[in-house]
Amino acid sequence: MLVNNSNVYYFCIVNLKTPILLTLILLLGHKIQAQNCNLSIRGKIIHLENNEPIEAAYVWVIEAEEGAVSDKNGNFTIKNLCSGTYTLTIQYLGHKEIRDTVTLESGTFTKTYRLEEVALGLKSVEVHGHRDAVQTTTAVSALYGEKLLESRGENLGESLKRISGVSTFSTGNSISKPVIHGMHSNRIMIMNNGIRLEGQQWGAEHAPEIDPFLADEITVVKGAETVRYGPEAMGGVILVNPAPLPTKKTSKTSLNLVGGTNGQMGNINLVYVGGSHKIKGLGYRIQSSAKRSGNVKSPGYFQDNTGVSELNLSSSLGYSSSKLGVEAYYSLFHTELGILNDSHTGNLSDLENIIENGRPFADGEFSYEIANPKQRVTHHLAKLKSHYHISESWKLNFQYGFQLNHRQEFDKRRGDLNEKASLDLELFTNTIDLYVNHTHKNELSGTWGINLIQQANSNVPGTGVTPLIPNYDMVNTGLYAMEKYSKGPLEVEAGVRYDFRNVSTARYINQELRTADLDYQNFSAFLGGLYHISPDLTFNSNIGSAWRPPNVNELFSEGLHHGAAAVEIGNSDLKSEKSLKWINELQYDGKRTHLELTAYLNPISDYIFLNPTGEVFVSLRGTFNVYEYLQANALFYGFDFAGSYEFTDKISAYLKGSIVQAKNRDEDNYFPFIPANRMDWGVSYDFAKGTDSRTNKITLSNVLVAKQNREPDFDIAPAPPAYALFNISYNKQLIIGDDKLNLGLQVQNLFNTSYKDYMNRFRYFSYDMGRNVLLKINYEF
Amino acid sequence: MNSDQFKKQLPILNNPTMFNSRKIFLYAILFAAFTFTACESDDPEPENDGEVITDVILNFQELDASGNPVGAVSSFSASDPQGIEVGATPTIETVELTKGKTYQLNIEVRNSIENEDITEEILEEADEHQFYFLGTAFVGSPILTYQYDDLSGELIGVQGILTVQQNPGFNNANMQIILRHDLDKNYPGASNPNFQEYAMAGGESDLDITFPVVVE
Repeated sequence: MLVNNSNVYYFCIVNLKTPILLTLILLLGHKIQAQNCNLSIRGKIIHLENNEPIEAAYVWVIEAEEGAVSDKNGNFTIKNLCSGTYTLTIQYLGHKEIRDTVTLESGTFTKTYRLEEVALGLKSVEVHGHRDAVQTTTAVSALYGEKLLESRGENLGESLKRISGVSTFSTGNSISKPVIHGMHSNRIMIMNNGIRLEGQQWGAEHAPEIDPFLADEITVVKGAETVRYGPEAMGGVILVNPAPLPTKKTSKTSLNLVGGTNGQMGNINLVYVGGSHKIKGLGYRIQSSAKRSGNVKSPGYFQDNTGVSELNLSSSLGYSSSKLGVEAYYSLFHTELGILNDSHTGNLSDLENIIENGRPFADGEFSYEIANPKQRVTHHLAKLKSHYHISESWKLNFQYGFQLNHRQEFDKRRGDLNEKASLDLELFTNTIDLYVNHTHKNELSGTWGINLIQQANSNVPGTGVTPLIPNYDMVNTGLYAMEKYSKGPLEVEAGVRYDFRNVSTARYINQELRTADLDYQNFSAFLGGLYHISPDLTFNSNIGSAWRPPNVNELFSEGLHHGAAAVEIGNSDLKSEKSLKWINELQYDGKRTHLELTAYLNPISDYIFLNPTGEVFVSLRGTFNVYEYLQANALFYGFDFAGSYEFTDKISAYLKGSIVQAKNRDEDNYFPFIPANRMDWGVSYDFAKGTDSRTNKITLSNVLVAKQNREPDFDIAPAPPAYALFNISYNKQLIIGDDKLNLGLQVQNLFNTSYKDYMNRFRYFSYDMGRNVLLKINYEF
Repeated sequence: MNSDQFKKQLPILNNPTMFNSRKIFLYAILFAAFTFTACESDDPEPENDGEVITDVILNFQELDASGNPVGAVSSFSASDPQGIEVGATPTIETVELTKGKTYQLNIEVRNSIENEDITEEILEEADEHQFYFLGTAFVGSPILTYQYDDLSGELIGVQGILTVQQNPGFNNANMQIILRHDLDKNYPGASNPNFQEYAMAGGESDLDITFPVVVE
């Protein structure tokens, strides 16, 4: 009993806010021995609508006269309560107040509260800032706000390098594909405003057909999310999301101008967002960007034919009322880009000659001209999305997406053929999602749905080349269900999915028709949990199975790859890849310190990879290496870290890095093109005074990339040495009336270092880009 | 139109319940279901490989001292009927020449799949193409010497003069014929038909065939 008393004493002492209660309890503590006063109420406050956490909701315990405000994860804690019955009120602007009666007997009471939005005549407060694009218990990192602004002018892959654990697999400076934990192309998924982007992602030199300017937030989900997004989301998912459409009268324009010295690049983007005052709930946005750049310069020479010309457009129109939401969206991506002249080799001896030379034979000169070899890609995406509230807790959602991808690749050819594409593919994709969400005032919430994908790929005749991949029709049907249980600081989530896929193909090879009809099916499931250990510290763990049916190129490729002087041969007997990804993340969000640690283990059975056979193929053109698609059991594992620390109000520093290991467990060797260990750190000095929120900051950063020591047994050239790059950036924000002007000046590769990156396929032919000075202007009015 | 007129025309604006949400939702689904089935891939069409070289024929016409043709043309060929296909290797004939004789060498390049004479295309794009003659026959004390003799005067190598040594050090050699495409013809040394460093002039190889040569 003495122990119990001292406990009471200690806990009440620290609660300095309630000195009256303290004296009261001290007095009572001696008399009523059974009274326990170190109890607490912990809870989480989220939106009923979408499960997103609510920050700054107000919680009040009427009897105890104690209150708390929820943090950015929606969590709150009220400590030092004695046992008894309390009335809790939870308030948040624009939402129905919750009153709850809580009986405290022992320990900690935990509960999740869902606040329902009430239709207000006029929303007086608009919440700005970052919201998680996806409600998941797996590791998520996002690029938004200032960081996104700094990345403007870069392609999607380059932009995402700012997130630890994400790197790029590139072909020169204009084509880069994001890599999450060593996985890219068809092993990750890119969502353009909720629609899975369906282009010709199988190709190493096929960049994602998306304009980063359409997004106000780019989120990377690092776990396996097959259940939620369908097959192929085994390595992770990238969500490119525009801001939600306004639902009230508003008018906002944003202009971005980016100029770069290397390649003499110019990039412009204009966005207009409006909300109708005639029809309440009607909002729209229109955005367009254009980019032009010429031959980029490596230290000492120009890379011939490396220009880019891009024109993009997106627009959306939305209507929302208390019952119904409808959104129509369209995006267009069009690019024409040159491929480094010397990378187009005639045969193996050409390839060996340039590898030995280490750089293009000619010094080149600056030009905006884009000649063959080149790529021309147009991607249309249209979607219609609608949700309907059947009742307070059930919501029906429907989404339809249409995509047309037209890819043309031009080679250096003779005569009239030079004007014709040697690869000309048209890919149509229809996607339908129909799902219900249920959210209740209790702890359970979930989603059940059906997902249909239909695809038709056609080779446009007249290329004068036997097509690399056949014409095909694909239908994929998926059924899934996910449930989430939330109680206070704990969230547990689980889901299952079943998919069936049929692929039928047809192609002529040497005047002979070859067809195939293939079926694939699979179950996948995941289990994940998230626990807020304290308001600053969160731990989450997620284990998910995933699968990926072999892609058409892996099954049926047959042809010459000029960039690699290789003949690639598909294998129609390939089985589906099956993977299990276990990912753990610890996040600390302190006052001065921010820390994120992610570790993962990802075994994959029947991992499909392109393996050199060691044989050469001899023709009148010369010899070529022969590669074939094989399957092996693979193990991927590694970790990412990201942290920042504020030394003073002026000086802060950050550090991030990642390590990926990818082993072929059957052969006990390594897979090619897995990112080398990399690290990135920097120091910032903030010129802004005191409470001034306007950015005025200079940052010096240093990127360190190790040599890839985990090399495959065969590569046409050894891994390039390690390198270090220095970058400097200065960002300043000016407020002119109601308008905002953001200015950024960046110098990339400050010392014009000559380097090659293991993950750039053009390391065989050239050094990477030299110094680049960029000016970035963003004006919001 | 003022805002009142606007509202009259759109009763939705006055009465939100008239906006039949459920119906709109169903229409959206129906519309999508219709579009969904409307898309199929095209039937494939056989593609003729226009770029492929299936036959390379070397035509040797003996010349007398004053440069006039003597006797019949002897031809040797290299052929690969499928073009680029794994497994098949090209058939290359042995070139048989006589000591001390001078020949006019005409190279004929064909695509037998398309029944096309690629030589014409090479001549049309003379500024982008050039043959190089390498291999043991042209090194050391060479048993063969080659000089360009194209009709247009440009250095292409579709036509040239090949001289066989009177007293060659050896009888068996090889002749590697490389056709470069998109090269820099002004690169120092590029005008030499036996230019070993041809790669330095840029471009890529369209042909790379090694013929065995026997000199008798």
